[in-house]
Amino acid sequence: MLRMIANRLATAVLSLAILITIVFFMTHATPGGPAFSILGQKATPQAVQQLNARLGLAAPLWQQYLLWWWHLLQGRLGYSYLLNRPVTQLVGDYMMNTLALYVGAILLSLVLSIGIGLVQGVTYGRWPARLIWALQLSLYALPTFFVGTMFILYFGVKWGVLPTGGITNLRLEHPGLLDYGRHLALPVLTIGLLGVSGLSLYFGTSVHEELGKDYVRTALAKGLTFRAVLFKHVLRNALRPLVTILGLAFPGIFAGSVLVETVFNYPGLGYLLWRSALSQDYPVISAIVLLIGALTVIGNLLADLVNGLLDPRERYE
Amino acid sequence: MSNALGETFHAPGGALRRSAVERAANWLGDRGTLVTGLTLAAIILLFSLIGPYLYTASPYAIHGHHALEAPSTAFPLGTDQIGRDELARLIAGGYATLVVSIPAAILTFLLGITYGLAAALSPSWFDKVLMRVLDAILALPGLVVLIFFSALFTPGNLELILLLGLTSWPGLARIVRNEAIAQRNRDFILATRQFGGGTWYIARAHILRVMAPILVVNATFLVGDSVLALSGLSFLGLGVQPPYTSWGGLLQTGLNLIALDPWWMILPAGLMIFLSIMAANLIGQGLLARFGAAR
Repeated sequence: MLRMIANRLATAVLSLAILITIVFFMTHATPGGPAFSILGQKATPQAVQQLNARLGLAAPLWQQYLLWWWHLLQGRLGYSYLLNRPVTQLVGDYMMNTLALYVGAILLSLVLSIGIGLVQGVTYGRWPARLIWALQLSLYALPTFFVGTMFILYFGVKWGVLPTGGITNLRLEHPGLLDYGRHLALPVLTIGLLGVSGLSLYFGTSVHEELGKDYVRTALAKGLTFRAVLFKHVLRNALRPLVTILGLAFPGIFAGSVLVETVFNYPGLGYLLWRSALSQDYPVISAIVLLIGALTVIGNLLADLVNGLLDPRERYE
Repeated sequence: MSNALGETFHAPGGALRRSAVERAANWLGDRGTLVTGLTLAAIILLFSLIGPYLYTASPYAIHGHHALEAPSTAFPLGTDQIGRDELARLIAGGYATLVVSIPAAILTFLLGITYGLAAALSPSWFDKVLMRVLDAILALPGLVVLIFFSALFTPGNLELILLLGLTSWPGLARIVRNEAIAQRNRDFILATRQFGGGTWYIARAHILRVMAPILVVNATFLVGDSVLALSGLSFLGLGVQPPYTSWGGLLQTGLNLIALDPWWMILPAGLMIFLSIMAANLIGQGLLARFGAAR
């Protein structure tokens, strides 16, 4: 177990280092540069030069690269060019909103997927399973931004039961939890649904596979009821791969949420990324990209470790 | 991107889709899946490519007195906020979407195969390096990378094709690499090597040929992913630029005016994106089932 942990940790650290390098070159070795977006397109060459010197963008690339590592190790991510706030603070604020969205959406997807997957696995080969499969395929092909827009159109505009965007009602002086919840409902539903197609299909297939294994036959032969076998044995075994899948699904969920947050004007990381990209606010962009990449790497690492805990066989691979 | 974009922003990674979907492909009638997918694809292609010749109204003409009108006989899908014919715009949007996303899918396909094969056929230390880099790239959602680069300049069609192609290949590269590794040590390939077959010959004449079914299926999925990626990008205002329009761009306009309840500006464009991705996935599933049965 210890060897496996060390192994996976080393891999994760290496991935992070490569990721950091990639992000550096994405943000520093591209034409254009931030000076124009700060000073405007008509900036004089002198002004651009001065600003580049002040932002440390005039030094040779390799010096910038080393400096970038040095600052990262100290946790210094610089200032937003546009909002003139420390990036860490800015990203932290928006991240809390995104976390609320994620936790809600992932819980919703999990609950729905487990329910749907159980039905699909048990009825494998018969019409309910086929119907569910058609549903999963359709859900997979539905773009989040379309779903989100339709939700706004119906729940927000036509029926007027939920707010159309934002995170709180700006007219309220002290928005309560209920107000937050009402604003979260539609984005959570949109992102939650997007996760269901893949997760439920995966879970349904696992349930079906587990049901065909010897231990199920043995348990049934012993006289256990099908329900007991399903919920006590099969469910537990079929749930295990979901841990890995959740780790793998993270970048997909985030990418989906960029669009969803934009649709709902929800001030989360995806929305911030979009705004910053439009104005070429490099420090903010690189911080977000790094954060997402790092979270993915850590997510995969945790998934591996949890699997190692749950299944001793994994420890020796 | 996952699918990044390969994996796309939609669902979990390519690896997941492979294994789970593959085993589940027979849950619906195989032939029905393929036929439905092909029919859908044909309708969408005809609509977008032949449509301009059958429905000749201009997508750019402004009918000032008919702004934001619901569907009528004069304007079958209504008009937008400055009185342009929405049906004509839907057709033009389809053309703009397909003209970028299909070449982009082809580019993705070629890049993914090249990287995957290069990794599989390299000495193992180099394979490890390439795979570590791939892991790091896959940790970044493709859409995020796309947003970053498309914000750097105002993209035309060629730039969009390059952008989508260059950011979407990692998902496929991993599939190709894993599959090629599985094939690499089969007896007939070892025999070819014994007889003096070079690496490039083996890759071209044997490995690619054995992998052809998997590659065809993935190529189909790539087209769907590409449509989704381009539509998402255009929806964010970073893809196809005005005055040209695309399905994603139409949806964005609809969302901006949503308080006025313009369902005809939202539903048709969204459905077209949905149906295109659906068509690609159905064809892919159908082929998967067929190849699976043939094996």
